[in-house]
Amino acid sequence: MTKPLEGVRIADFTVHAAGPFCTHMLSQLGAECIKIESAHRPDIFRKPHPVYGRLGPASFDQVASNKLSIRINLKHPKGVDLAKRLVGISDVAAESFRPGVLARLGLGYDALRAVKSDIVLLSVSSSGQSGPDSHFAGYAPLFGAWGGLGYLTGFSDGPPVEMRHAMDHTVGLNAALAVVAALHQRRATGEGRHVDVAAREVASSLIGEALLQAAAGAQPSRIGNDHPRMAPHGVYPSRGDDCWIAIAVGSDAEWRAFVNVIGKPELADDTRFSSESERRRHSVSLDAIVSGWTKLWSAEEAAVSLQRAGVSAHASWTTREIVDDPHLGERRSIVTVSEPDGRQRAAVGVPMRFSQGEDVGIVRGTPALGEHEDYVFGDLLGLSDAERRSLQDEQAIY
Amino acid sequence: MVQPAQNAPLSGMKVVVRASSVGAAYAGRLLCILGAETLFLEPPEGSPLRKEPPFLGEEKVSALFAYLAAGMCSAVFDALDEDGRAGIAALLEEADIFIDDTPSAQRAALDTDPQTLAKRYPRLVHVSVLPFGASGPKSNWKGEEIGLLHACGEGNLLPNGLSFEVLPDRPPVKIYGHFASLQGGIAAALGALSALWVRDEVGGQFVDISIQDAALAVGAFAVQRFGDGSVEHRSSRSFRFGGVLRCADGDVELLTLEDRQWKALVELLERPAWALDPALDTSIERSRRGTEINANIRAWMRDKKVSDIVARGQTLGVPIARYNTPAEVLADPHERARGLFAPVPIEGIGTLDMLVAPFRFGAEPLALRQGPPALGDYSPPQPISQRQPAEAMQASAR
Repeated sequence: MTKPLEGVRIADFTVHAAGPFCTHMLSQLGAECIKIESAHRPDIFRKPHPVYGRLGPASFDQVASNKLSIRINLKHPKGVDLAKRLVGISDVAAESFRPGVLARLGLGYDALRAVKSDIVLLSVSSSGQSGPDSHFAGYAPLFGAWGGLGYLTGFSDGPPVEMRHAMDHTVGLNAALAVVAALHQRRATGEGRHVDVAAREVASSLIGEALLQAAAGAQPSRIGNDHPRMAPHGVYPSRGDDCWIAIAVGSDAEWRAFVNVIGKPELADDTRFSSESERRRHSVSLDAIVSGWTKLWSAEEAAVSLQRAGVSAHASWTTREIVDDPHLGERRSIVTVSEPDGRQRAAVGVPMRFSQGEDVGIVRGTPALGEHEDYVFGDLLGLSDAERRSLQDEQAIY
Repeated sequence: MVQPAQNAPLSGMKVVVRASSVGAAYAGRLLCILGAETLFLEPPEGSPLRKEPPFLGEEKVSALFAYLAAGMCSAVFDALDEDGRAGIAALLEEADIFIDDTPSAQRAALDTDPQTLAKRYPRLVHVSVLPFGASGPKSNWKGEEIGLLHACGEGNLLPNGLSFEVLPDRPPVKIYGHFASLQGGIAAALGALSALWVRDEVGGQFVDISIQDAALAVGAFAVQRFGDGSVEHRSSRSFRFGGVLRCADGDVELLTLEDRQWKALVELLERPAWALDPALDTSIERSRRGTEINANIRAWMRDKKVSDIVARGQTLGVPIARYNTPAEVLADPHERARGLFAPVPIEGIGTLDMLVAPFRFGAEPLALRQGPPALGDYSPPQPISQRQPAEAMQASAR
């Protein structure tokens, strides 16, 4: 019994978050992912970035999990040759340099096709491989800004909200889907493809309906926690400091169930709240009623009561509640990962469960730089010890 | 049946989608735009998504449904009666993938529970998309978008940056639209294609997608940081400098991670004396003095035009972006050059530009062949025995 993508090999040149998240997903699904860095240019996220307000690496451990690590100096001609040899035995090459950089290194799509005619090349970038802005630099908050998602998120009387790593990883999840689609096409036709994922386009894809409204002449804008149909709908205060519950009443039937749970059955006959449109029209007074009840209860207690009555509600969780949650633990959505140094930490698993084959997910923690060179350079590429020493002396392996 | 583009990766694949919520429908949309023949299964009254806002014009045509179902055909069957179930069975007989968001407890009565489908269609990939998945203590919980965002942790972490700074007493704010549900859709499409990849080895199978899991996966770094000993909070989840910045005619996002980007920013700011302080050459000192730096940047940006700053900044290598409105995204020359949008007819509205896909496979964008389907527009192909002789011979030859 196998994992879904067992047998697929990825030469992974990606850095930062979006590209590495893509290959991290594919590796959890069974692909063998070989991460290529060098001591001179390690993945930028291996090191800390104090602008985040932390002195440790912000994000590397999660997306590096499961991967094999080797060093190749892509600025050295023999390093480029070595990278090509690796691509020659791979199914997918993945990169997230600025458009044009890979080609300047001698590893563009045509060069890679010359060593592996059916290679699937994934390029993840901020603005795509073509177009007037293709040279633009960017990170997750910029993707959200360009794509319209950032503009639309926030309170109606406040500024836009910057997207964080969830934006990067959404790019990566889309990229993983596109890569597997390209592999299917390769299986059917024998042809590889150059997959081009532009992060700002991914951000736009998350507001497709608003873009359609704009195309029709409307001007969608920030609406905070409101919903264009449902009421009550929002994030309400719960008992305790900075505790909240998210509630969405989706129908008149749910409204009737809701008023019973909060002990105000008479509201079912209140004409101000007799339909969704009326409840929306009177949302200020309605929200005051809802908040008056939610403040009396812990978010968990209130959510359980409402769910029992068939109303969508959930406590606003911090990471602590997520890591401790029995449901997520049972589904292996939260797992414990052992690092090579023996340290254990919580990590997020792959978000899918398959009824057949081996369990998918994280099997090993963060690789040390160059940790798997015996296997990759020795077993896979057949380099002798002397050849490897020579390449190291020349700093092609560095 | 609308034929997919010739070069689409999943050409020849057949997908059936039964969706009353965004996640499952989006999985279908993704597979459809990737080239799969995709049927949207609806009850006689139509999917509830057809009535979901936002709407286009005064006609109550759902922009959300139009975006989610574009390119698909609509097949109407009443799953509550025997003929309807027989019709669905005929579709599933031909399908590679079935995506379904029917609550688990209702599936057996419709003959679409995992056990029945596995027995009847041993090569079918059956993908379940539910708010909290098909297994685990919360598998029967209801989950509207706002609750799911808070169940995955990202909801509690927003707003951050400037929005929190100016409105600190507000509750957490929702990401616009259907961010969490769309993650479920992307994960479902990826899970479906991954399961299909090994179908010859393991047969068809059941793939269990939880929207909570998918949204948690893309927010994974918060869990990593918890393992490092820190619990993130929206009040402190701000860049030490940069972030959302207000200009004379709009907002921009600025994030500099690298020393070279800081130096480029100093150039953009016209080399002010405060920025030339040698102490700011280190990222740690810049982080420590972030508030002071940001005050200076904000004062400088206040009377500048967004387009001027972004153009010059990106030329210098400063990661900076405009907060685009949906209309600006739609009109952006870059998006136009890349063919991100395509005109599609929408019944009752006319032809509108719609976002096609967040990825491409080579120089040309994918093709969106039609808008949303009219209810029940699917015509099953005639059995060969009922066709005219010449047509039947051609079909047999194929």
